[in-house]
Amino acid sequence: MRLDVRGEICPYPMLKTVEALQKLAEGEALEVITDHAPALETIPTQAGRRGYAYDIEKTGQAEWRITIYKE
Amino acid sequence: MSKAGTVLALRVIGLSRQTTLGLLALLAAAAIAYFYGGFSFPLAVLWIFGLGFGFVLQRSRFCFASAFRDLYLLQDGRVIKGIIAGMAVATIGFALVMYKASPDMSKIPGGVTPLGVHTLLGGLLFGLGMVLAGGCASGSLYRMGEGYVGSWLALGGMFLGMFALALNWDWWWTTVINVAPKLWLPKSLGWGAAILLNLLALTLAYLAVLWWESRGGGVYQQTVAEPPFLAFGQRVAALYRAVFTRAWPAVVGGVILGTLNTFEYLFAKPWGITTEVSRWAGWIAYSMGYQAQNLLYFSEKSPGFGLLKHVPWLSDGSLLNWGTIFGAFVAALLAGEFKLRLPGKPVRYGQSLIGGILMGYGSRLAIGCNIGAFFSAIPALALNGWAFALGLALGSYLGVLAIKRLA
Repeated sequence: MRLDVRGEICPYPMLKTVEALQKLAEGEALEVITDHAPALETIPTQAGRRGYAYDIEKTGQAEWRITIYKE
Repeated sequence: MSKAGTVLALRVIGLSRQTTLGLLALLAAAAIAYFYGGFSFPLAVLWIFGLGFGFVLQRSRFCFASAFRDLYLLQDGRVIKGIIAGMAVATIGFALVMYKASPDMSKIPGGVTPLGVHTLLGGLLFGLGMVLAGGCASGSLYRMGEGYVGSWLALGGMFLGMFALALNWDWWWTTVINVAPKLWLPKSLGWGAAILLNLLALTLAYLAVLWWESRGGGVYQQTVAEPPFLAFGQRVAALYRAVFTRAWPAVVGGVILGTLNTFEYLFAKPWGITTEVSRWAGWIAYSMGYQAQNLLYFSEKSPGFGLLKHVPWLSDGSLLNWGTIFGAFVAALLAGEFKLRLPGKPVRYGQSLIGGILMGYGSRLAIGCNIGAFFSAIPALALNGWAFALGLALGSYLGVLAIKRLA
């Protein structure tokens, strides 16, 4: 599943990620695309609390992809 | 070397576009400091203080709006812990400066303002506004430097709110503010007890945040482990990444901000933002032909904040604020995080503007924002700082209720 939250600032990237995680199928990974650097702090915390692992990758100028998955 | 030549040379040695622009911006910042230093040393110093504040705010993502909001929304205290740490450091620093200035407490510091219903109401409006806009006063300045168009809009909103307050200032001043008491802890408790009580309250607040976070399920942060054995060159590269590319822990940012704030107090006065921003609002009205200097709020003598003697490109507060925007701009470029960003949805434009208006009105009603009336007031051992904090907490809570409906 892919979630594009570019243009959104805190807290929306995180709120929408949490919403998406609730809809995520078993074994599926969630890709969040954001251009808001503070989301790199808030999203991992919420993913971690829900038992997910995550990877952060810088994909361009001020753009990141956070991949959230169950280990 | 010509500018184009410099850009080319930097690109050739393998620097990214944003890093190259960041270095050029740093040169420009130095040139501006040199220019002001030519006729006013203090203006150059305030510009450099601003650069420092902007740089640290950007690097540690030090957002006061998220500090309160995320406590409610996420049970996450990343930034509020940084704020508390910064205020604890500044409590010691400010106490030393205040004691040196007036050991017998005859001179009450500027951060001690009348404490009344306007302090709480101002904090409440400001807290609501900052959560709606997604950034406080300092947050809006540093996000402006990072390229967030919404934050420029929030600044425009602040102008409107501040000007509205300036029109109401006579009433607020005579009926509410001027009759309220100034409560300065050292005056009632003595130096030692006041400092200890302040530090104790900050410690308890910190512990409360830790407890609240634990109930929420812990805090997960990305940690980057560098290998233990590195050659000198690799260690310098690792240091560069830690300072310029990766986000700093909020507590590190808070402690540096608290230290810078003490240094600024030592040099001139504690860090503040919105008094000067309100003068910009006055200047805009003045340049459009409105005689703003005739309002009580903009008169030169207390309870006015002065207008005509504070020219926006020649006053210390302005240099500090411009420096904050520019310092964040440099930091964002060097980190590869600069980008012109338009708000993601039409409703966000409204949120920025209305949030800005609320922040503008609230900050001037309380005679300060999240910096002047809070981050600099609590270390000044001013009881109004704690009252404003309570207002911020209540207002942020209302803000959270509002933004949940605006998803």
